[in-house]
Amino acid sequence: MSQLEQEIKTLIIESLGLEDMTPSDIDSQAVLFGDGLGLDSVDALELGLAIQKRYGIKIDAESKDTREHFRNVASLAAFVSQHRSA
Amino acid sequence: MSWINLHELLLAPTHDRLLCQQPELSLSQWQARTLRLAASLAECNSQRIALHCLDALNLASGLFAAWRVGAEVYLLSDVQPASLANLEGRADLCLGDHQQAPLTDIEQLIANAHEPLAGQALAAEQACLWVCTSGSSGQPKQIRKTLAQLAAEVQVLEQLWGAQLGSAQILGSVATQHLYGLLFRLLWPMAAGRCLHPLQLGYPEDVLAQVQRQPRSAWVASPALLKRLPEHLPWSAQRERLCSVFSSGGPLPASASAQVADWLGHAPLEIYGSSETGGIAWRQGGEYWQALPGVALSADESGALQVRSAFLPAGHCEVMADQVAFAPQGMRLLQRLDRIVKLEEKRIALPALEQRLEQHPWVAECRLGLIEAGRAHLGALVVLNTAGRHALRNGGRRALTDALRKHLHGHCENLALPRRWRLLEQLPVNAQGKLGQAQINALLLAERPRHAEVLNQHSSADGLHLQLRIPLDLAHFSGHFPATPVVPGVLLIDWAIDFGRQYLQLAGRFSGMEVIKFQRLLRPGDEPVMTLRFDAAKGKLHFAVRCADEPCASGRIRWESTDV
Repeated sequence: MSQLEQEIKTLIIESLGLEDMTPSDIDSQAVLFGDGLGLDSVDALELGLAIQKRYGIKIDAESKDTREHFRNVASLAAFVSQHRSA
Repeated sequence: MSWINLHELLLAPTHDRLLCQQPELSLSQWQARTLRLAASLAECNSQRIALHCLDALNLASGLFAAWRVGAEVYLLSDVQPASLANLEGRADLCLGDHQQAPLTDIEQLIANAHEPLAGQALAAEQACLWVCTSGSSGQPKQIRKTLAQLAAEVQVLEQLWGAQLGSAQILGSVATQHLYGLLFRLLWPMAAGRCLHPLQLGYPEDVLAQVQRQPRSAWVASPALLKRLPEHLPWSAQRERLCSVFSSGGPLPASASAQVADWLGHAPLEIYGSSETGGIAWRQGGEYWQALPGVALSADESGALQVRSAFLPAGHCEVMADQVAFAPQGMRLLQRLDRIVKLEEKRIALPALEQRLEQHPWVAECRLGLIEAGRAHLGALVVLNTAGRHALRNGGRRALTDALRKHLHGHCENLALPRRWRLLEQLPVNAQGKLGQAQINALLLAERPRHAEVLNQHSSADGLHLQLRIPLDLAHFSGHFPATPVVPGVLLIDWAIDFGRQYLQLAGRFSGMEVIKFQRLLRPGDEPVMTLRFDAAKGKLHFAVRCADEPCASGRIRWESTDV
């Protein structure tokens, strides 16, 4: 697991108040907003804010890829590292 | 822009107009689709039609087509399996425009129609729909709304804010399956002749993208979104374009209201209402609410708000679960008087979820409460039965709470699945024999225990005997070990030291240990006896732990006097 993925998993657990969870319980490839973790649309808003705040990046209004970026931890990590260095 | 009364929306318009710009759809085109759908519905001879659409104008077609053939409509709040099962016998057709559930496809019915029905005025007192909401007993409740009531409300909205909106397009972030979205996003713009965006815009980024495309927009929003608007988006640049923001469904924090006012130059227009009553009052910032025109407000002896209005059946007085106070400046909301909580504007009846949880074979009793630390969520206090305690001892806490969450899945939205769990030996009660919501919430907020519970104590020649109970929810169990909760040996030593200080008044500090033995594991709910004896001459605390007459642990702790 990359350092960044680990960091994002911790961010998810902390910002969404997931009890009894550790980063190792979240599979980097598992769908975030399906039935897996039981996250909902408000979590999506919260996580979007947390990611933008932590990494100082902007999620584009019109980007069709936004939902793809938030698909799982791996895609989110790829998105963050791409925009952080850009 | 000319007003068309809702019951006349199927009549051929004297001047056609656009209902929607992308994709472009005019009133007459919408009427043609709706009247074709009506022809298909007439053939199926359905009298009660359930509707769930993602596209608001499809919903409007379903609604008006059903009314055109004299059918009643059930507006589904969601398509969870349990909600659909609840509908058995109430609806003879489930109509929709998506694949999230087995629904009859609206598009298919429109395509299948042979000849559209003729447009005609609807009977506003007879045409009706049922909206679903959670009743205070926890049972879902169906509320009947006539077209006349909906029309009266839409007229009040136009009277209050029509001039301010002008020809703004209407954007919405709330579903049209609920009364607020249905009225504000769909029926009002249709009657007034304002273009509407037919899809629910769930994210602020999507809303802003639409705002940038039109000279003027109004946004039908919700507190869930308004309190989470990303600061880096160019809100202020849209001052001229975004002329009004509506918020309803739950209280909007004053800080969120002020933030929007700062960016846009106007605070959101908040509407207080309910599925039962429709709109009741409004405000724009501040804490005082003004009654909507035609709504009469009063309070009963407990302070509960009483509502009479043209949006309710004639002569009906609805008593709300909100306690209110009236002042010359308006009405203030004080507190909820029941056990319905609002979670991001979703009304959650705690009793219904508790009943469902108590049907699980591991649960003896439970109570739910709202936790507002960070992102608001539900927490559950659970008393396990014997089977449940076995499950906890053998599979660990995480597996147990996962199973309970799964058990609720499909009976509520994901949003309502409890995130915090506290496992208790029993539910406490107050002096009146009740467990108040404040007490439930306090128990939910409490940290998990880090100590054994001392049930009683007695002394004998062997020393002090403490009857202990290992809490089901001991904090250390999460890591030791996730799937096999056992009390860490080092924790027993820690407890022996603490109890020595507390019960034997030992001063000084730990300086080492000898002959420590761990013979048997202690697990959640075990009730061991810890025996403590202090050998003052040697400065050693002897401890022994036994459970069900078997030795579990023993040893000696060297004690160093601090005054040496």
